[in-house]
Amino acid sequence: MIKITDLEKYYKTEELQTIALNKLSFEVKKGEFVAIMGPSGCGKSTLLNILGMLDDSDGGSFIFNGEEVIHYNERKRANIRKHNIGFVFQSFNLIDQLTVFENVELPLIYIGVKKAERKKKVYEVLEKMQIMHRRKHFPQQLSGGQQQRVAVARAVVNNPKLILADEPTGNLDSSNGNEVMDLLTELNKQGTTIIMVTHSEHDAKFSHRIIRMLDGQKVIENSLI
Amino acid sequence: MFRNYFKIAWRNLLKNKVYSFINISGLAVGMAATIMIGLWITDELNYNNHFKKKDVIAQVYQSQAINGDVGTGPAIPRPLEFILREEYADNFKHIVMSSWEHPRYLKYGETNIYTKGNAMQEGGPEMLDLKIIEGVKDGLKEKNSIMLSKTSAKTLFGSDAAVGKIIKVNNLDDLIVTAVYNDIPENNSFNEMDYLIPWKYYVTKQPWLENAIDHWGNNSFQMFVQINENTTMEAVTSKIIDVKKNASVDEAEFNPQIFLFPMQDWYLRSDFENGVQSGGRIENVWLFGIIGLFILLLACINFINLSTARSEKRATEVGIRKSIGSQRGQLIFQFLSESFLIVILSFVFAIGIVLLFLNGFNNLASKVIVFPWTNIQFWLVALVFIIVTAFLSGSYPAIYLSSFNPVAVLKGAFNAGRYSSLPRKILVVTQFTVSIALIIGTLVVMNQIQFSKDRPVGYDKEGLIQIPVMSNEFIGKAEVMRTQFIASGGAIEMATTSSPTTNVWSNRSGYTWEGKPVGFQEDLAYTNVSYEFVKTLGAKIIQGRGFSRDFPSDSLGVILNKTAVEYMGIKDPIGKYIRDADTDVENREPPLKIIGVIDDIIMQSPYSPVKQSMYAFDNVGTASFYNLRLNPEKSTAKNLEIIKNVFKKNFPDTPFDFQFVDEEYGRKFSSEERIASLARVFTALAIFISCLGLFGLASFVAEQRTKEIGVRKVLGASISQLWLLLSKDFITLVVIALLIASPFAYYIMGQWLQKFSYRVSVGWDVFAIACFGALIITLITVSFQAIKAAIVNPIKSLRTE
Ligand SMILES: Nc1ncnc2c1ncn2[C@@H]1O[C@H](COP(=O)(O)OP(=O)(O)OP(=O)(O)O)[C@@H](O)[C@H]1O
Ligand SMILES: [Mg+2]
Repeated sequence: MIKITDLEKYYKTEELQTIALNKLSFEVKKGEFVAIMGPSGCGKSTLLNILGMLDDSDGGSFIFNGEEVIHYNERKRANIRKHNIGFVFQSFNLIDQLTVFENVELPLIYIGVKKAERKKKVYEVLEKMQIMHRRKHFPQQLSGGQQQRVAVARAVVNNPKLILADEPTGNLDSSNGNEVMDLLTELNKQGTTIIMVTHSEHDAKFSHRIIRMLDGQKVIENSLI
Repeated sequence: MFRNYFKIAWRNLLKNKVYSFINISGLAVGMAATIMIGLWITDELNYNNHFKKKDVIAQVYQSQAINGDVGTGPAIPRPLEFILREEYADNFKHIVMSSWEHPRYLKYGETNIYTKGNAMQEGGPEMLDLKIIEGVKDGLKEKNSIMLSKTSAKTLFGSDAAVGKIIKVNNLDDLIVTAVYNDIPENNSFNEMDYLIPWKYYVTKQPWLENAIDHWGNNSFQMFVQINENTTMEAVTSKIIDVKKNASVDEAEFNPQIFLFPMQDWYLRSDFENGVQSGGRIENVWLFGIIGLFILLLACINFINLSTARSEKRATEVGIRKSIGSQRGQLIFQFLSESFLIVILSFVFAIGIVLLFLNGFNNLASKVIVFPWTNIQFWLVALVFIIVTAFLSGSYPAIYLSSFNPVAVLKGAFNAGRYSSLPRKILVVTQFTVSIALIIGTLVVMNQIQFSKDRPVGYDKEGLIQIPVMSNEFIGKAEVMRTQFIASGGAIEMATTSSPTTNVWSNRSGYTWEGKPVGFQEDLAYTNVSYEFVKTLGAKIIQGRGFSRDFPSDSLGVILNKTAVEYMGIKDPIGKYIRDADTDVENREPPLKIIGVIDDIIMQSPYSPVKQSMYAFDNVGTASFYNLRLNPEKSTAKNLEIIKNVFKKNFPDTPFDFQFVDEEYGRKFSSEERIASLARVFTALAIFISCLGLFGLASFVAEQRTKEIGVRKVLGASISQLWLLLSKDFITLVVIALLIASPFAYYIMGQWLQKFSYRVSVGWDVFAIACFGALIITLITVSFQAIKAAIVNPIKSLRTE
């Protein structure tokens, strides 16, 4: 599903240039659950942003579903993104002014799903995430775990083929964290490809494969199956 | 403490450059506009302040009812003077008869100037406090004397002494210069009076002037008075109000009312409606005063909106200050001192703006305002102005900001509340209501002017010039001149008139005609014209014909305008007679035969219906103007050169003076055009200030919603969707403003238009333009920020650090 080769990314600031990704290569197959680990600042978030087509790379190749997307313009990328990719962030990133229902509904609006259809899908996924009873609440009125469940619900509501999760449990206690990991595992079983950045060895065990990074490079890969 | 506050205020200014820029520039522009308007109003209110006796000088006015319509004006009959002098003398310090301000030729040696002046009685110079710089104050005692303004003395004599020199007036009489007085400054009545000649000289110049001495019906003169100290204008008026009515049986039927019109009111309150004083320029003073206050208010609203919008950013500071013991009062004081700093800075910039644009403003407003650097009063008012502005813009933010709960704020749980943006929204609506109302108002004024300009004038005013010939050497020359002008090829036709095409100088009554209703009091505009009048002007004959050399009887002919035929109720007018109704058969003038009817031509106000007019053949040589139709085959410059040569050949000593008739006509719009251009400027400023505020708010909202925008974008929102999201709230506010402003402006402008009888209706197009304009301007202002926010890469806004 994803194949990156010699991916590079630099950040230039006034005095120094940071190499965030240094000729990074790996492949993720359809239906895989991959964890990415490494010390702070090694380039994990940068990688995820590029995989999610939120950011440009400075070199290398990125093949998504058999298409070279590295030179795609903003519009094409946004189009691939909204139909194929769901994001889960460490800090949930829910919109404070919208209710749970409205937050989850958003991606469907942007891909042009009809209203009745939207309601059905949102209810389905809220049910699955067990926060149906909270659908009229605003994010501030929920606990962290509940907020992250809403964020996951939002990421999966349009059945993306790929979920990118950046430290999804980082702001949660272990029981809430496990709940989220169970959700991801469940989704993966249903066929969704998942790439997850994490600092937790515990969470990484839920995946099939761990890619370990250091200074923008892959240092080791261990398969857990 | 104080220094600490100012330090923080100063740092905040520097740190938030965009915000400071919007605040200061908005306030500076607003304050500058208010200062300019303030200077303008002061100037208007100080009109005639040059005259020390302003409050005891008056002009004698008269109201008369003709067919029930009361007309009021300064024209009075000569015999009034003698009654006032004989029977009411103890009320007056001075009674001064005066002519109208008229141009004359003044010649000394080779220099010949054509300039305006008055004929006045002896008391005039003293009453007006003329400052004599050479000669004597009572310089009008001798019949053959003349007093000159400094400017005209300088033109005639250079630096030589003027007194004692002999000037030829209108190439006829020799008058001796008795005095030179300082020019009366602009912004005062009589400021164009370049000389004064004695009344007793003036009244002997023409037989009709002499005859007017006992003629109560000849209202052709002016009278100025200075009342005695021990009385009041009202008291004198109540004594003299019926003098004319009682003195003349013939005139009593018009119910003439004589009253004093105080100098205080000459400029600002000179309108009369049905005999009652009804405002005048003072209305514009109010109008622009209100506009000035509104513009200041708009700028203050920007300040209020931006300060409260940014409150989240200041919340932590407030929390910390409160937690270390600051009291609310101290915080209020702190925030107020910040607004003072900003307002003072803005004021400095505002003064700069005023200095920069004062010249342009003067041109626009036809003023000569100078910046009152040394006027202490001005600076005191400015101080009050600064304090008021600072409080107006600073109080609400200070009270709001200082009210934050420190515990909540410091826990990071700052929540401004659901309705926290409501006051801001109301203020934005207020701003746009004012701006939109101004847009609509300006459009209506402009439409009204254009509408009146497009009104058919009834003749071809392009390519037509008039040469004033109100001097003795021109008498009896018209025919010769016409032949020469046409032969020269510079003009293709010429006609004389006793008044300019663009004005009526004479009104007549005392006629009778077949079918005249009993008791009907006619009042007709009267002009003497020569043979080719219709042809020269290009007027349109509706019935009959113009004057013709082929009909000798035309010398007692008259042409009426369309309105006159309707007004007089004459059926089949051609061939009918208009007869003198004088009971005294000896004095009766011969009857005038109606030979033609022309379409109405606008001689007076383009906003009023054309007055019923008669154009009588000039068989006594009362020509005041040569009207020349320029040769369309040649350029205007060439034509003028030829005409000037012909003129100079015949009148070598007389300066060649002429006016383009279309320009003269255009002057009728000048006061409305001045209002329109001022209104345009202030509307533009109001829009600018409102947009500045909107821009600030939009950037604030975009900033506040960065995270939301990022999330939406990650989820697939397109830039256009985000743009709509961010702009829609503002558009809603502007639409609300439109809904408030439109009926309001509709009503106000409807009222304004009432004073024109020829007027546009306030059509839907005005609202459509205002609506469309306001929305476009809003969209542009808001979109800049919205699009900027929408194209930001979401990973920037969502970085969790
Ligand atoms: N916008 C940026 N400008 C400059 N440098 C950046 C920027 N974003 C990231 N970096 C640098 O790039 C490197 C990789 O950053 P990245 O956020 O990918 O790290 P990370 O592996 O996700 O770390 P963490 O585990 O702490 O989230 C770091 O050295 C970081 O300082
Ligand atoms: Mg990271």
